[in-house]
Amino acid sequence: MIQNRTPFLNKISASLNRTEINAQPPVKEWQHRPVEKKLSHLTSDELMPAFIEQCGVLKNTTIVEVEAAQAMKEIDAAVQKFGGQSVALWDDERLTALGIEQLTTSKWIDEGMAVHIWDSALGRTENFERTNASNIGIAYAEYALAESGTVVLYSAEGQGKAVGLLPNVFIAIVKKSTLLPRMTQAASKIKEDFANTQLLPAAVDFISGPSNSADIEMDLVVGVHGPIFAHYIVLSDQ
Amino acid sequence: MAIKYNDEAFKDNVNTNLERDFMRGAVTAAQNKLHGGRLKAVEELGDWEEWRNHGEEIRQHVLNNLDYYLNQLAENVEKAGGHVFFAQTADEATAYVQSVVKKKNATRVLKSKSMVTEEISLNEALEEIGCSVLETDLGEYILQLDDHDKPSHIVAPSVHKNRFQIKEVFVAKLGYPEDGSADAKDLARFVRTILREDYMKAEVGITGCNFAIADSGSISLVTNEGNAGLVTTIPETHIAVMGMERLVPSMEELEVLVNMLTRSAVGQKLTSYVNIITGPKRSEDVDGPEDFHLVILDNGRSDILAGEFKSVLQCIRCAACVNVCPVYRHIGGHSYNSIYSGPIGAVLTPLLAGYDDFKELPYASSLCGACTDACPVKIPLHQLLLKHRQVIVEKEGRAPVSEGLMMKGFSVGASSSTLFNVGTKIAATVMKPLSKDNMISKGVGPLKDWTDIRDFPIVEREKLRDWFDKREKKGGKSNDSK
Amino acid sequence: MKVSLFATCLVDTFQTNVGKATVEILERLGCEIEFPRSQVCCGQPAYNSGHIEKAKEPMKKMIDTFLHAEVIVTPSGSCATMFKEYPHVFKDDPLYAEKAQIVADKTYELTDFIVNVLKVEDVGASFNHKITYHPSCHMTRLLGVKDAPYTLLNNVKGLEFVPLPYSYNCCGFGGTFSVKMGNISEQMVDEKVDSAIETEAEYLVGADGGCLMNIGGRMHRRGEKIKAIHIAEILNQIV
Repeated sequence: MIQNRTPFLNKISASLNRTEINAQPPVKEWQHRPVEKKLSHLTSDELMPAFIEQCGVLKNTTIVEVEAAQAMKEIDAAVQKFGGQSVALWDDERLTALGIEQLTTSKWIDEGMAVHIWDSALGRTENFERTNASNIGIAYAEYALAESGTVVLYSAEGQGKAVGLLPNVFIAIVKKSTLLPRMTQAASKIKEDFANTQLLPAAVDFISGPSNSADIEMDLVVGVHGPIFAHYIVLSDQ
Repeated sequence: MAIKYNDEAFKDNVNTNLERDFMRGAVTAAQNKLHGGRLKAVEELGDWEEWRNHGEEIRQHVLNNLDYYLNQLAENVEKAGGHVFFAQTADEATAYVQSVVKKKNATRVLKSKSMVTEEISLNEALEEIGCSVLETDLGEYILQLDDHDKPSHIVAPSVHKNRFQIKEVFVAKLGYPEDGSADAKDLARFVRTILREDYMKAEVGITGCNFAIADSGSISLVTNEGNAGLVTTIPETHIAVMGMERLVPSMEELEVLVNMLTRSAVGQKLTSYVNIITGPKRSEDVDGPEDFHLVILDNGRSDILAGEFKSVLQCIRCAACVNVCPVYRHIGGHSYNSIYSGPIGAVLTPLLAGYDDFKELPYASSLCGACTDACPVKIPLHQLLLKHRQVIVEKEGRAPVSEGLMMKGFSVGASSSTLFNVGTKIAATVMKPLSKDNMISKGVGPLKDWTDIRDFPIVEREKLRDWFDKREKKGGKSNDSK
Repeated sequence: MKVSLFATCLVDTFQTNVGKATVEILERLGCEIEFPRSQVCCGQPAYNSGHIEKAKEPMKKMIDTFLHAEVIVTPSGSCATMFKEYPHVFKDDPLYAEKAQIVADKTYELTDFIVNVLKVEDVGASFNHKITYHPSCHMTRLLGVKDAPYTLLNNVKGLEFVPLPYSYNCCGFGGTFSVKMGNISEQMVDEKVDSAIETEAEYLVGADGGCLMNIGGRMHRRGEKIKAIHIAEILNQIV
């Protein structure tokens, strides 16, 4: 529902010296295009060092590069490194394809860890509570941005946003082939991804490192609401 | 809390704040830190002037086509399953938000930082109908805890407090241990634990909107803390409030402006979180809001759009101008007596809230131009301050009588070279007896305000033009000045 | 080159040594100096207080005075900036719009003129003292003259230069701001004086009479040893 639209927009049109909204979409004729120059010439191989470097600039942000075949070993190692205990993760085919079940259904269970796979059958409250009780959250990123040390997540049925927000540690898996120079390229990729439906997912989240705040004396500290650590696992051969 | 903070005169607020040494120390330190950070981030980006030009042209394009883009935005929000409410006034906006909250029978409201909701006093409106309203941005949270202290900065609302003062607030209000550390990290972690419970119980999430995206019907939220992510993930209802000028045509322009915002505001390439939200959650999604409402606010903006202050609507609320302002540096944000402080506040507040209470603000600037220089979207801030002065003097006729007379004298005296010459010579004779080693310490008349603070040179017996005359008569060109 | 000197009120009246130095430096560099007698104030005090209409009378007088000059040089970044603003002030004035542009186009601040028009980077001066430099706001930000003063100072023999901390902060002058908002201005100039003292320089050098009168006046009031001095006075120190 849209309320009060006409009088509101008429007032604006009047302020702009016209009687009604122009029928034609405005033409964007930019005279300045600095975006086209920034980092755009780099290939994904050249981007990787930049991505790694920026993760070093971000607080409590680590990154490893592994082949897909080693992904499970690496995820397990990361979970152990960050203290294990409890893991919440997306219900995601891409994780399944990497063999996540060997961890979620056997190894981690055997070790006594609590594992919560995002479950639409459980409803909001139950998913939130289990995720909130988890030490580590694991998600699968659509893209990564070298310049800013960013991963891009889409919300979807199995892809609960809470997984990246509530646990102490945020682990993102991302394919090296989806590493982009910067937000410029991500913006056009996102547009392409949803060109058919013309409808973006309810949430597209750009996440660069852990939650932090500089509200106390401009001193950047991590973990004010969400994750305290961010860890990216880049799949080098995908 | 509305735009205006108190009923004190500008001078009194300034005097009070000049006495606040803690505040001044904290603000100066913050400015120095932010200055370096911004310059570094800008340098890293390269071609900064090109980026500024591009930022400016995007903002101007949006303003010139605002009716089109707002219409497009509204239609696309609706397509995504959201509701749009266009509010002409603050009251219409708050009444709508109240009605949504009432319909949900909700009482627990969580907010992520938003200046526009401060502008319309939304918290008070919700408290009136029995809601608890909790600010989640750490800075806002600290202020709310400290008996509703006021924001003194549009990006870092609690910048006027140092960590020891913040610790004291936590000790008094949250039971933080008295011997606990005043380390920013420890204070932040402590809040994390407490706020987490509130997040889990929240029913309605309220956010502002850094930029809406017209062609996708989205809003974007830029935070470091991730609080906007939580506020739009856990509660079943999300209400976003935006000033009507805060939008971009598409994600392509969003990208440019967000990059400029984060670099200009905090010297970061990107903040930790940029959330792009399009409508409510899809039916198959588990989290995210069931209902999404977008309130688009005019509240005086369409009048600004039609007038000579239009360019102020280019503002992306990065506070770069605040962070470089030498006046803000000394008087702090509260002196502006408005939620919008610093140079942008001195321009915007009189437009939104009138000259009656805020006609001094445009004079609270030495016109040094640091603000204009820092603005990522090239708002000519110091020129707008000058424009305000002109309106105050020439249209509103509010200049003090004494100043009017002085300027009239100036106009006559300064434009006649004979009068100018004689006048300045008389000054030499009048001033001489007042001086000591050729400097005057106790001036009278218009000079008093100057010599209250600094000494004043006496007028030279021989004016430059007389020296030049004599020299020409002698045939000139000798180095005889030493 | 024939230079018409735009002296500025402060230099004509209070800081005649700056004017004399300006004349002598330019003559030494081969310029012929003219002092148009009908020059008055550029109008900035009224203009910056919002009395735009009242400022227009002296502005017109200045435009008429300098219209036929070959080049206009002034030892003040701020007053040069005011001339550069004239086309904006008179943009809707059929009589003065074009003239204002002509005047603005041939106006230069002194150091900018020496370095970028005369193409001289060393004026042959010596000054055996430790100095720091305050870049005035109007000159650097609005006029865009940033490097010229440093270039010239760099080539003064015997001069020891110490950078001024927070040099980019305004000194608190701002014309009528210095008296209208005296208590704020006081804080700003105190910070500037403190920064200058921190450098342990003997002189704080500037290129704008207003700022120097403010900073120097405050230094004098506080009884500080450091002195505020105009760059022309240093560039005219020829042994």
